[in-house]
Amino acid sequence: MSASATQTSSKAQTAGKRRGTDVLLLQIIGYIVITVLAVFCFVPFLLVVSSSFSEEQSIIENGFQLIPTTFSTEAYSVLFKYPEQMLRAYGVTIAVTAIGTVAGLFLTAMTAYVLQRKDFKWRNQFSFFFFFTTLFSGGLVPWYLMIIKYLHLKDTLLVLILPMLLNVFYIIVMKSFMSSIPEAITESAKIDGAGDFRIFMQLILPLAKPALATIGLFIALGYWNDWYNALLFISNENLMPLQYYLYKMLGNMEGMRKAMMQSGAVVNVSLPTESLKMAMTLVATGPILLAYPFIQRYFVQGLTIGSVKG
Amino acid sequence: MNRNGLLGEIRKNRALLLMLAPAVLFFLVFAYVPMAGIVLAFKQYNHTGGVFGSPWNGLDNFRFFFESGNAWLVTRNTALYNIAFIIVNNVLQITVAILLFEVAGKWFRKIAQSVMFLPYFISWVVVGAIAYNLFNYDVGTINSILTTFGMEPIDIYNTPSYWPVILVIVSAWKTLGYGTVMYLAAITSIDTEMYEAAEIDGANIFQRIFKVTIPNLYPTIIILVLLAIGNIFRGDFGMFYNMVGNNGLLFSNTDVIDTFVFRSLTTSNEIGLSAAVGFYQSILGFATIMLANYAVRRYDKDRALF
Amino acid sequence: MQTKKRSAILLLTIIMMLSIVLTACGGNNNTAGTNNQAANNGAANGAANAGASDTSEEATIKMLLVGGKPADYDQVFGELNKLVKEKINATVEAEFLDWADWSQKYPLKFAANEDFDIVYTANWAFYNDQSLKGGFLELTEDLLSKYAPQTWANMPKVAWDQAKVGGKLFMVPNNNVEITDKVVLIREDLRKKYNLEPVTSPETYAAYVKAIAANEKGINAFQAKAADGWKWHELDQIMLEQQNEWNLVDYNFPLAYKMDDATGKVFNVYDTPEFKQLLAYYKDLADNNGWSRNVVSNKNDVWQDIKAGKAASYAQNIGTVAANIMEATRENVGIELAIADLTPDKKKISAISTQNGLAIHATSKNVERSLMLIDLLQNDKQIHDLSMYGIAGTHYEAVGEDKYNAGPSAANYSPSGFSAWGWNSALNRQDAAYPKVADDMFNTWTSKVYHFPLETFVFDDSKVKNEVANIGNVMLRYAIPLEYGLIKDLDKGQADLIAQLKSAGIDKVQTELQAQIDAFLAAQK
Repeated sequence: MSASATQTSSKAQTAGKRRGTDVLLLQIIGYIVITVLAVFCFVPFLLVVSSSFSEEQSIIENGFQLIPTTFSTEAYSVLFKYPEQMLRAYGVTIAVTAIGTVAGLFLTAMTAYVLQRKDFKWRNQFSFFFFFTTLFSGGLVPWYLMIIKYLHLKDTLLVLILPMLLNVFYIIVMKSFMSSIPEAITESAKIDGAGDFRIFMQLILPLAKPALATIGLFIALGYWNDWYNALLFISNENLMPLQYYLYKMLGNMEGMRKAMMQSGAVVNVSLPTESLKMAMTLVATGPILLAYPFIQRYFVQGLTIGSVKG
Repeated sequence: MNRNGLLGEIRKNRALLLMLAPAVLFFLVFAYVPMAGIVLAFKQYNHTGGVFGSPWNGLDNFRFFFESGNAWLVTRNTALYNIAFIIVNNVLQITVAILLFEVAGKWFRKIAQSVMFLPYFISWVVVGAIAYNLFNYDVGTINSILTTFGMEPIDIYNTPSYWPVILVIVSAWKTLGYGTVMYLAAITSIDTEMYEAAEIDGANIFQRIFKVTIPNLYPTIIILVLLAIGNIFRGDFGMFYNMVGNNGLLFSNTDVIDTFVFRSLTTSNEIGLSAAVGFYQSILGFATIMLANYAVRRYDKDRALF
Repeated sequence: MQTKKRSAILLLTIIMMLSIVLTACGGNNNTAGTNNQAANNGAANGAANAGASDTSEEATIKMLLVGGKPADYDQVFGELNKLVKEKINATVEAEFLDWADWSQKYPLKFAANEDFDIVYTANWAFYNDQSLKGGFLELTEDLLSKYAPQTWANMPKVAWDQAKVGGKLFMVPNNNVEITDKVVLIREDLRKKYNLEPVTSPETYAAYVKAIAANEKGINAFQAKAADGWKWHELDQIMLEQQNEWNLVDYNFPLAYKMDDATGKVFNVYDTPEFKQLLAYYKDLADNNGWSRNVVSNKNDVWQDIKAGKAASYAQNIGTVAANIMEATRENVGIELAIADLTPDKKKISAISTQNGLAIHATSKNVERSLMLIDLLQNDKQIHDLSMYGIAGTHYEAVGEDKYNAGPSAANYSPSGFSAWGWNSALNRQDAAYPKVADDMFNTWTSKVYHFPLETFVFDDSKVKNEVANIGNVMLRYAIPLEYGLIKDLDKGQADLIAQLKSAGIDKVQTELQAQIDAFLAAQK
């Protein structure tokens, strides 16, 4: 199926690229604008990479530099001082991201599907019910109490997954994407006697691939980058996800300096904080950058509704 | 609607309701039950009383914010910044998504799209540090360049008027890849038959973009903008704090509700005070989104949020 | 459509009410639990008071400490537990709130009434706040003299008095002489290079700053640390407080009294001729490029800048500056540093005892044993050494009775890693490499410590919380740029600052503060 899909979409694109000054003009504009923006996005990242391989001393003296004058892997050796901890942190993050994304994406899609069904009488009421939670919140304390005192989730892997399982923003965007799937599909299936859940699983999910890829990416990024839930609920070193592990490493040094000044105690820490910050960015981003091209094809080339129908 | 009717409706929709149940349960547990904590905005919290037993103190918790003389300034700044972010970011993301979809080179598209995602991964702390390297007066990159060309250096950190522009650019830069993905997904969902039909009508590529692609993006645009509007009174703390920090000279142009409250409350740990401001932001956001949603409903009820 | 919306809102209201009721029940249970526990404690105390302290049943004491968990925690606390078990039939378990996030977690631990007995606290670590909210157990004379008798005997009365909040004591403060006076770390080699007088006063310091600013390109003569919410010029403690012998009641608002003023009259420091003079002094330095124009936006670590030769002075407490010198010597960085005391002849104030301390959680079930443990931590030489410096020969090498050298694996259990400062006492050891100049300077200071009636006064800001919050904001926004010379017209800037403070409610704070001080002084007579 995917072969025919790519074929159709590339056909659609070649059809759009017939010779003509308009097409040529658009191509020129497109290449220029995108190249400029891409450079704009790339240079700061390059700065991060090269600074992470610089000596701390040279950063302090000369600031961040695109082309490092000195080469050093000091920051990385500090980060990987305890390699088994780092590996475990990667493991936790990967597990949480994988489980959370699959579960979250499934529930998001299922919820969104119901909310966009035009024959579902209470869809607006439920939409409002969900949306309302983005406006009002009881703040940190009651939420914390809920998770610690009533759900007893402290120091469990579940606490890293559960609170982020669903996000109203994603549900609503998914709902909007799904509403472009022709209603006729649901209707004809119903006439054939299929149940709502089966329609969702067998007909809608396959058709919603671009939306699933997009929202799935966002959910995964959310899990990957989260450190706040770990901050609040994890004190067991074996359950620390990567971002929190990194956050702690840097925050500990800065927090210690500050506390010591206030308490009158002696400040005596010296670590390459600047290059460390940069190296952390790379360590945390690396795996995503490696994985990205594999999921990218879903929304750059895309499976289109039209192609499946045709 | 009588009871039988309601029960009947429930029975008729039971599969759909069951499919909604996990989400409903989730938001009940993680959002609605803790939402009761809103009462803290009207209480003088202590541990013996807890969330519900602590004594009421009326509107006292709101006083510090409204009597500061800055409530209007920071509320306005928050809203204006968010409006600017919504417009600039969305226009840019849509443009880039369309161009990415149209350009021919497959590898170019892939690489460009990945590269544009990079800023998303750079934390605000690091962005702030890079910005300081660019902007600082003595050795900043921008001033080094200016002085080598014999121009006067500019004192960015002491000049408030530069900052709205800087912040809008930084926000656009950071969200570009993320937002583009969303619009790209929407574009790839457009039925290709529509393009073919447009071509048969003899439309050139620009007409096709404006007549087919963009109108087909309206639902996505409306939804994303509506979602953003609900949060128009919440400032992006990480961004403002790491870019501006505690530089008082810039506050007139850069202070948003969240940074103002953070600074005010660093010394006291009153849960009630932050709850009060949070409540204020919620009420404003609620009013705005109800109006916006109402407006959209009047135009097309299928496009509204609820 | 209308009815639909109305029913949606109805549904929502019902759900919200439901949730309120649900949590309300939960909440009530909770508070009931708390009260019961408190009552139990009372009963336990009563029972214990009747007889000798009963340690027949083994207890586990949970400690909540601030800072990173030491790598050799298991080893050191294992040793510690052997001793503690033998002495008071208890074992200790410590939970560490990392420096990165302790300030977020700390209040939540109390709000959720989690299970812990002893907790680190300090005037900068929620002491007043949690005392007023009922997070700590009140420590009565009875309890202390009975279960922490050595501490009770060894601690000066001033220290206990300083730790009182609203007349009640909630903390066992550390027992350690500290002086909070700030000094300036300077580049001695540069001073010699330009043939400058020794830096011992604001004037000689100004000369130093100007000489470096004029002659050394690429060096900031003075540098402030990265902004973290501090509301003053970093030299203010020296130039304003120490120089004028004032005492700022609280660094969150600009109200002070003169140390030798027996009436304790409070005034706004920004509205004084001394401040006006100081502004001119700062402006002069700023105009001579004494510090970077972006000093308030600085994001770099000052000490790293000094080490790299990019900054030539900063203000800090003497212990930190001494540590900097130790580090520079150790790493042989090729610059010569010196400690400059700009106010050598002025009166010194000893640090308030609540800089560090330990408190007991309000709902602790092991009150007596916790106090006994604190007593041991502060006063038992063996336990103090072990808990502070780790295992002798591994983490530290004892040098005589009161000094130490870092041991081979000092990094895995170091006195600067976490808040072991909570039980600082006369038994503390000093790093043998501590620079003698710093030590000598400190010793001359101790002879100049000035005692005055208000030194035990602590302001209770609960009635003026709103005003204090707003004043802090005004200081950041108007005072700091003015002091760093970023505002051209000093008179107008100062007038603006004072006007803004007035509208933020400084008068109300001043009235409240004066009333509390008057009442405090009256009670002392």
